[in-house]
Amino acid sequence: MSIVAKVIAQSDEANRFLSSAELAKLQEFFSSSTARVSAAQKLAANQQKIVDEGSKRFWSQCPNTPSNSGNPQKTALCQRDQGWYIRLVSYCVLAGNSKPLEDIGLDGMRDMYVSLGVPLANLKLAMKCIKEVALGGLTAEEGALAAPYFDQLIRAF
Amino acid sequence: MQDTITAVINPADEQGSYLEGAELEALQKYFRTGEMRVKAATQIGESASSIISETVAKSLLYGDITLPGGNMYPTRRYAACLRDLSYFLRYATYAMLAADASILDERVLNGLKETYSSLGVPIEPTIQAVQAMKEVVTSRVGADAGQEMDVYFDHLIAGLS
Repeated sequence: MSIVAKVIAQSDEANRFLSSAELAKLQEFFSSSTARVSAAQKLAANQQKIVDEGSKRFWSQCPNTPSNSGNPQKTALCQRDQGWYIRLVSYCVLAGNSKPLEDIGLDGMRDMYVSLGVPLANLKLAMKCIKEVALGGLTAEEGALAAPYFDQLIRAF
Repeated sequence: MQDTITAVINPADEQGSYLEGAELEALQKYFRTGEMRVKAATQIGESASSIISETVAKSLLYGDITLPGGNMYPTRRYAACLRDLSYFLRYATYAMLAADASILDERVLNGLKETYSSLGVPIEPTIQAVQAMKEVVTSRVGADAGQEMDVYFDHLIAGLS
């Protein structure tokens, strides 16, 4: 769900046209759309680099973790998931809303990683590293649009 | 409901892919029209009741429909007609903002024709009123936004026909 769909659903629920606050929110969303698109493009283009760099940072702080256990299959799987989270953040930046992250990647996430035996505290640290590297490749404006979704992800772990 | 943004994100996620190429272009095209959409929605929301009054004056008021025996007589039925026209206007505005007609299908058109025929509401004057609403809205929001609203009014008309 996008911010547009969200404010429409709110208005519909109340049987009214959009409020001036909701209209202002949409206005703000559309006026930042150039930066949203460029942020999403950069995240897409640099995903591999962000994951690689982020992993190095993460392992230097937390060497004893499944992705660094010497099992290349495990490493690939962990890094694949990290890349997916970058993709979900890019969807959120374009949608102006955290629903894509929540619906696709957070609902049920804890149960999944607990069952896989992946320590959530480690993942949290890994995502912090991913965030740092990702924001390093964005302008301040783009970073400000993406950071809240990375933060939400980190909080969720 | 679906909107233009969600409509490109969901299939991309099923492929596990970023939004690139044609999808991203579609999104950018929508973003570029965003300001126009918000402005039109603001104007329509601010003057909804006068849009409805003018629409009725243009299409229904001076016909037999408001006389005894007509479907906008007595006042209770007149008011029901105003209410329905205001629904049409509001949902067409939502759809215009989202650049997606699905909310019209889900919230207005689904079952509407059957409801009208069981209540004896004549379809022909309803369509005339929506046609009149197109003109009234365009005169308020200007040609570009009016054209965009027409897409959703036409969708309503097609669903009623």
